Amino acid sequence: MTALTRLGDRAGRATSPGQARPHGGPRARESRWALLFLAPTIVGLAVLSAGPILAAFGISLTKWDLMTPPQVVGLDNYARLLSDDRFLKALRNTAFYTVVSVPVGLTFALGLGVALNQQIRGIAWIRTAYFLPLVTSATAIALVWLWIYSPTGLLNNLLATFGISPQRWISDPTLAMPSIIAMSIWQGLPANVIIFLAGLQAIPVEYYDAASVDGAGRRSRFRHVTLPLLTPSIFFTGILALIGSFQVFDQVYVMANPGKPSEATITLVYFIYENGFRNFKMGYASAASWLMFLIVAVFTILYFRTQDRWVHYQ
Amino acid sequence: MTARVTAAPAVGRPSARSARKLARKTAVYVALIAGGLAMMIPFLWMLTTSLKTRAEVFSSSPLSFPTGLHWENYTKMWFALPQVTFGTFFQNSIVIASLATIGQLVTCSMAAYAFAVLEFRFKRVLFALILATLIIPFQVVLVPNFILYRYLPWPFSQSGNWIGTNLPLWVWAFFGGAFGTFLLRQFFLAIPRELADAARVDGANPWQIFLRIYVPLARPALATLAIFQFMWSWNDLLDPLIYLRDLPTYTTTVGLAFFQGQFVGKWPEMMAGALVSLLPMIILFVVAQKYFVRGIALSGLKG
Repeated sequence: MTALTRLGDRAGRATSPGQARPHGGPRARESRWALLFLAPTIVGLAVLSAGPILAAFGISLTKWDLMTPPQVVGLDNYARLLSDDRFLKALRNTAFYTVVSVPVGLTFALGLGVALNQQIRGIAWIRTAYFLPLVTSATAIALVWLWIYSPTGLLNNLLATFGISPQRWISDPTLAMPSIIAMSIWQGLPANVIIFLAGLQAIPVEYYDAASVDGAGRRSRFRHVTLPLLTPSIFFTGILALIGSFQVFDQVYVMANPGKPSEATITLVYFIYENGFRNFKMGYASAASWLMFLIVAVFTILYFRTQDRWVHYQ
Repeated sequence: MTARVTAAPAVGRPSARSARKLARKTAVYVALIAGGLAMMIPFLWMLTTSLKTRAEVFSSSPLSFPTGLHWENYTKMWFALPQVTFGTFFQNSIVIASLATIGQLVTCSMAAYAFAVLEFRFKRVLFALILATLIIPFQVVLVPNFILYRYLPWPFSQSGNWIGTNLPLWVWAFFGGAFGTFLLRQFFLAIPRELADAARVDGANPWQIFLRIYVPLARPALATLAIFQFMWSWNDLLDPLIYLRDLPTYTTTVGLAFFQGQFVGKWPEMMAGALVSLLPMIILFVVAQKYFVRGIALSGLKG
């Protein structure tokens, strides 16, 4: 959470000149205006996000099908989750998804960011082609990839030209998750590339000039100038990719539609959806969502802790 | 960029150097264009498949172009479902995405103004709290929010509450949002204070300063927020899946998923449906690419 408080500090510093304003008016009156401007946000925070997070914990301690009144069962739901095979598979699949898609996705995005940072004619058009997946719905995209992965689909046909036998990309349990990951990396690339491009363009040209004068080649400039100065962007895309990877749902839903995902592809969010909104086990689904919340929080805090060691702020 | 090129130390004879440079430049173009085409393959394949006949899809090589342009796949897809057309889904998506966008524009800009311009107690705590919601997986609040909407009465729905209506999909937007507040606050901070101070001397109150100075100057940032919110609402699957019950209320994404469940194996129609559902966003992207790029670069958020 250090970065958040740091951001808060920056907010304070940025606005502090306002306090010294000669004609700012009484502070109390300004506070009342602030309350007016913030009223919708404060209500939303209390009723739609902060409040419900606490409520979710309360619900997770009950057995509640929405038809009969809730029964308090203590930590029963959590205990049952930890021995529920489908939940453990969901946890494992989500962890696998995270561990593979985050580093691989970021590496591709970094390479692509550097490649697209060329100032050449027509680069805007070329970038458009790479950025297009940004705006597409995971639903429609999963549908297309389902067709690409189908037994008679594009991928098997391409592989056949290299003499590779057709694979069951979606129905084979060992291939299903990697197939979903490949698709998600493709769709997630543009956002990461755009962040890296912004980071690259913020690096002062003088640094490269100085490195060149010192005799640094292309590769050495990348290692000693580009990479260190890009670590804030890498850190930032990392946290977004980490949080996003825990939320994967659409692809899994479409890939299994009209059925439900097997134990090879079920993810945490699908598990929550299935229990909460198909089986109407509100307590059980809440417990699963709270465990997910805790896992994400722990990983986020651990990740923030590492930043002093490898992130260089200019 | 030009400075970097001219500053590079001169090595080798000029003609050899320029030849090498040309070769490098060509290689860069070829690689970038080839990569771009590779990224586009799913789109291209969606398009070619949508124009083939079903027999053609399974008999000919998938890499081949369609023999004729079978646009009838699009009409078949459009009218494939009983009682509704794909146009109904479009209409529902447009209504929901527009309302959510309006809500976010109004309430996020108000909150952003308070954080950027006004002084009040607990400002930092409140802002940190809002930022924290950015990194909380929203799935944690799915169940409590569902229960909340189930208890909110609505006389016009079958259930008597908000479930089965589109209300849960856009009313929340009128109660602020972390992304929009953060994005607009960054923009508001860059507006010179002197403008507000001068207006204040002339007797304007904060609301007038907000409406007459900050909102008009923040048009590019507001456009960025509008585009992102519209896209997120348009592309959302999980919430519409949870809250919408009847086919005529479905959004494009849920409609498409329903369509998929009904028409297993009818790839040309399905690809036509997927392409049509993407088209509004693709057009929006081509027209307003700079807002997308700026929004992501500025706040580093993705949907």
